[in-house]
Amino acid sequence: MPDLDKLHQAVIEGDWKTAAAATRAAVAAGAEPLDIVTGSLVPAMDEVGRLFECEEYFVPEMLLSARAMKASMEIVRPLLAAAGAEPVGRVVIGTVKGDLHDIGKNLVASMLEGGGFEVIDLGADVSPERFIEAVAARNANLVALSALLTVTMGSMKTVIDAFRAAGLRDKVKIMVGGAPLTQQYADAIGADGYGASAAAAVALARRLVAA
Amino acid sequence: MLRVALDHREPDRIPLDFGSTSVTGIHVSCVAALRRYYGLAPGPVKVIEPGQMLGLVDDDLRRAMGLDVTGVFSRRTVFGFPTGNWKEWNFRGLEVLVPGDFRTRAEPDGGILIYPEGDETAAPSGRMPVGSAFFDAIVRQPPIDEDKLDPADNLEEFGPIQEADLDHLERRVRAAGESGCGVAISPGGTALGDVARVPAPSLKNPKGIRDVAEWYMSTRSRRAYIHAVFDRQCEIGIQNLARVHARIGDAVDAVVVCGTDFGTQTSAFCSVATFRELWFPYYQRVNGWVHANTGWKCFKHSCGSVERFFDSFIEAGFDIVNPVQCSAAGMEPAALKRKYGSRLVFWGGGVDTQKTLPFGTPRDVREEVLRRCEIFAPGGGFVFTSIHNLQAGTPVENIVAMLDAVHRFNGVARA
Repeated sequence: MPDLDKLHQAVIEGDWKTAAAATRAAVAAGAEPLDIVTGSLVPAMDEVGRLFECEEYFVPEMLLSARAMKASMEIVRPLLAAAGAEPVGRVVIGTVKGDLHDIGKNLVASMLEGGGFEVIDLGADVSPERFIEAVAARNANLVALSALLTVTMGSMKTVIDAFRAAGLRDKVKIMVGGAPLTQQYADAIGADGYGASAAAAVALARRLVAA
Repeated sequence: MLRVALDHREPDRIPLDFGSTSVTGIHVSCVAALRRYYGLAPGPVKVIEPGQMLGLVDDDLRRAMGLDVTGVFSRRTVFGFPTGNWKEWNFRGLEVLVPGDFRTRAEPDGGILIYPEGDETAAPSGRMPVGSAFFDAIVRQPPIDEDKLDPADNLEEFGPIQEADLDHLERRVRAAGESGCGVAISPGGTALGDVARVPAPSLKNPKGIRDVAEWYMSTRSRRAYIHAVFDRQCEIGIQNLARVHARIGDAVDAVVVCGTDFGTQTSAFCSVATFRELWFPYYQRVNGWVHANTGWKCFKHSCGSVERFFDSFIEAGFDIVNPVQCSAAGMEPAALKRKYGSRLVFWGGGVDTQKTLPFGTPRDVREEVLRRCEIFAPGGGFVFTSIHNLQAGTPVENIVAMLDAVHRFNGVARA
């Protein structure tokens, strides 16, 4: 019987070595890759998000858990692909043009991946054209834009306008986040949603792909 | 007047600071715009802090803006080269002056790379992408071998202060004293785990833990290593402060001790318990030395939602907090003043720079500034400045509206 509890606990505790070993052991014991994700990684990262929201966890703990989750996903991802498993959604994520800050974006990407999404992470300083190309190439249904700076948050509207100009605005939901942002700003630039934290971003992403 | 405010006595008017530190500075493009606005001598502005591209607030601009504090910065910049030997540089259409060893290369997409110690044979240590107006450090993280991690590797940028650096500080402090303003000094070296400095943009080949995310994780998973770094850094920092004090005495009012951010917009980077275990003992040592040996006040910068740390800051010996980010969670200005106003100087909190100052109207700015002055001014313990540096793209009319509002509150008519 595969022991998914050990993996679950390793992710919550941010222990990537144990997470990787537990994943290999679960696979060897015959666990289905999708069960590893839905039965262990998703609830573990949900718990990490809850601990962050109630301020038992902070950025360092979140980063450690994300690394443990990724160590597990490195093993599970090829098995999922081979089994033809469909993700909850496909999200293209990046920090907008002119902005090199990526810790918040990386946390959101990890939480989304841990939430069952396929994440196409374009990194930082990403042009509108690259977002559009990635959505088209990967058939993504969600775009997540990050900005830390007041001087770069305007680039989010540029991306949204570029999707509109390319005739793709109705094909994707666009969510935004970052320190200087607000729901009001997200509404003003025509985004579909705003997440105030990494955990909130996952809940928002689930709502948007279900809509 | 600054000293009166720092001593929690109510001065005749609120002291104003822009430009005295790297966290109360003005982007060089805004300095140029303000000089034009006030009709001051034209010519390129000096970039005194090349990381954030902060411009020099010269004596004439300080007088025009009605400022009360002048700053003394360390000789070496964040990229490891010294200020001085100025040369012209075209900063995206704006002629500015940069240090002679400020050496850059353009990337194919228009980004700008900058080099540590001005050495173009080294890997670049900073990058300014198109659309940005300052440099971010480039992370150059060597592979980490847990068994070979040595705290000394994270201490390479901290060493005994050089005679040339002491000469520089002494000259600048003397000149600052002649201005008649209050003086803030930023000798550097005592910022503990500041993620703006962790990548070591001043070094050609940084070793140790230099990736910012890896550093954050290390504050949880490699505590003994972090303690060892902070312990030695603290020792070196105090030795350097002693040598600085031997040169300049008590001719400065405030020393910028540390700019490590503990707050985010909605939360914190660590718990109070972690802060007290990992940072508190070292802050207490540095601030304790300052208070036992000098007349300086200790200045702590931390963005974000940091009210939860204020009692610990006070206990650790910090006298001043900045930038007082009132837009962050739990940073309601009246509550902060009521709870901590007699024990902490608020050097900041004057106006929001995420929304009001860059995107509001002059009227919005005036109203917010007057409200903040009414809250923070009574009883002293307030130095007016915006919440962090004046960023590129801030409308000059909003900056002027902010200054005029403070002067109006102070009852000082200005031309």
